[in-house]
Amino acid sequence: MKSPGLRAYAISYLIFLYAPIVLLPIFAFNDSKIIAFPLSGFTTHWFAEMWSDSQLFRALKNSLVISGTTAVIATVLGICAARATTRFAFPAKGGLLGLIMLPLVLPEMIVAMSLLVVLLAIGVNLSFLTVILGHVLICTPFAVAILSSAFQSLDKSLEEAAYDLGETPVSTFRLIILPLVMPGIISSLLICFTISLDEFIIAYFLSGADTVLSAYIYSQFRFPARVPAMLALGTVLVLVSIVLLSIAEYFRRRGIAKTGGKDTGGFL
Amino acid sequence: MSTAKPIMIEFRDVHKYYGDYHALRGITANIRAGEFFSLLGPSGCGKTTLLRTIAGFEGISSGVVLLDGKDMANVPANKRPTNMVFQSYAIFPHLSVEQNVGFGLRRDPRPASDKAKAVEEALEMVGLKGYGKRAAHALSGGQRQRVALARALILKPKVLLLDEPLSALDKKMREQMQMELIRLQRQVGITFVLVTHDQEEALVMSDRIAVMFEGEITQLADPETLYRRPNSRKVADFIGTMNFVPAQIISEIGDVVEVDAKGFGKVTLHAEQCMGSATATGASVGFRPETLTILFDGQTASDRETMATVTEVVYYGDMTYYDVKLDGTDQPVRISMRNVFGRPVLDIGTRARVAWSPGALVLFR
Repeated sequence: MKSPGLRAYAISYLIFLYAPIVLLPIFAFNDSKIIAFPLSGFTTHWFAEMWSDSQLFRALKNSLVISGTTAVIATVLGICAARATTRFAFPAKGGLLGLIMLPLVLPEMIVAMSLLVVLLAIGVNLSFLTVILGHVLICTPFAVAILSSAFQSLDKSLEEAAYDLGETPVSTFRLIILPLVMPGIISSLLICFTISLDEFIIAYFLSGADTVLSAYIYSQFRFPARVPAMLALGTVLVLVSIVLLSIAEYFRRRGIAKTGGKDTGGFL
Repeated sequence: MSTAKPIMIEFRDVHKYYGDYHALRGITANIRAGEFFSLLGPSGCGKTTLLRTIAGFEGISSGVVLLDGKDMANVPANKRPTNMVFQSYAIFPHLSVEQNVGFGLRRDPRPASDKAKAVEEALEMVGLKGYGKRAAHALSGGQRQRVALARALILKPKVLLLDEPLSALDKKMREQMQMELIRLQRQVGITFVLVTHDQEEALVMSDRIAVMFEGEITQLADPETLYRRPNSRKVADFIGTMNFVPAQIISEIGDVVEVDAKGFGKVTLHAEQCMGSATATGASVGFRPETLTILFDGQTASDRETMATVTEVVYYGDMTYYDVKLDGTDQPVRISMRNVFGRPVLDIGTRARVAWSPGALVLFR
């Protein structure tokens, strides 16, 4: 960071990344329907408007149900995959893992379109379930990535020691493996939840009549009068996201400290 | 006498394959009750695999493993009367010291107070009294080792299996733990089976040692026999230092073999000093560095004496290692001499008289 050029680049890059997010709360508290400077005064009116929007709460509830369910399913699948790939050797392991991880690099648009075509072709009605299906598909790779590193750092002889001391494979999993990978599980749950919550394309394509939060926000942007309330909502969501990711990171670090391991990267 | 003791572990022609790889090639051996038994060999010789077949972590491809007279073929690891101390110690990092030590008592029907007492006793036995409430991950290497020992011994297993338990400790700590393990083994009287690649450790600690190479037991004997009468050059090379000089067999009459060993001349050896089959060619005579002695002024040899030239001197404080060329040879051999106060250390190039005895020689053929 000696060169002034590099410093200027780094600063302008950070501004480019984060200024829009900083603008969000500024206009959420601005007493004007028009999103433009100069600011015209402080108000919490938009938060109140947001708070009284029953449609919004309905969409939020839908989103929470979808995200919660997605997080749990993706994490359970992630546990199975991570356990299998870190502990056992089986044919085509690399290929199978590649297929699981593929949605990570596949454009979501393609996932959403192909799922929609297939679901409609086999006559499945669009509902929460179809959105959850799509979200599980894109969240599972994240769960596998997080949990693989948790399972990988587990010394195999810990399992053998528990087994040697009289435990069954099931009780060994419960008493030794689960507590030790718990930070990874919590991280996975929170990150899958966050990804699912703000996912738009799949949610928009695959949800039926009931809309989810991201789709609802998008629809509201067509009405200029509704925009400040959406900015208020955006402010709340940013805060919630930061809190959730911080919790995830806290558990990840605590897990590492608890087992006396070395920190090898993470999300924050 | 240990021969009177019953057999605790018996291997009958045990084979183990990993795919095409033949890891154990017909292991047949007995380990007696109350014995401190070591499996010694270089890495990849199958010693850990053999240990894990006792624990039940590794199945065998053919053969029989008997533990206290019972065939272990269908007994899973968690039902075997064995406990293991792992190379990595495998201390459960999320539990306290006492939770670790008491882990194996979970299924024990005794009341909690009895179990707590047992944990306390086990900790005391390994010298960790008062450490019970500590977090396991905060312990030092030596302390983890002790916790692992207490955790395994609290179940009073018939056999304690130790998989290179001292390899992660520094030299001082390792020597201290060696002594403690010997003491502990005498105290509890449990059969210990130790896996190690450290020949010194095996010699120090064991009642008997099985030396393994490439999935086979090459020699199974007590430490002294292994050291003095290794049955092959491989074993001789692996355990301690051994010098070899080429030799020619002159005659063989009954139990007596007469050889011409380079640098020593004609020597008569007895059957117990002769290793290997009679048909092999390229015989050599081996001897340990401390069996040759450099004679200083006025000293006389009690047996034989030969002249040599010093080619290298390595001073170790308590010992001095001399490389000398025995007259009539061109390869130097190593002699170790205990230093005596007031006696000079010889210089390179010095002519020296070397005393030796035919009884210290071993013929490999």
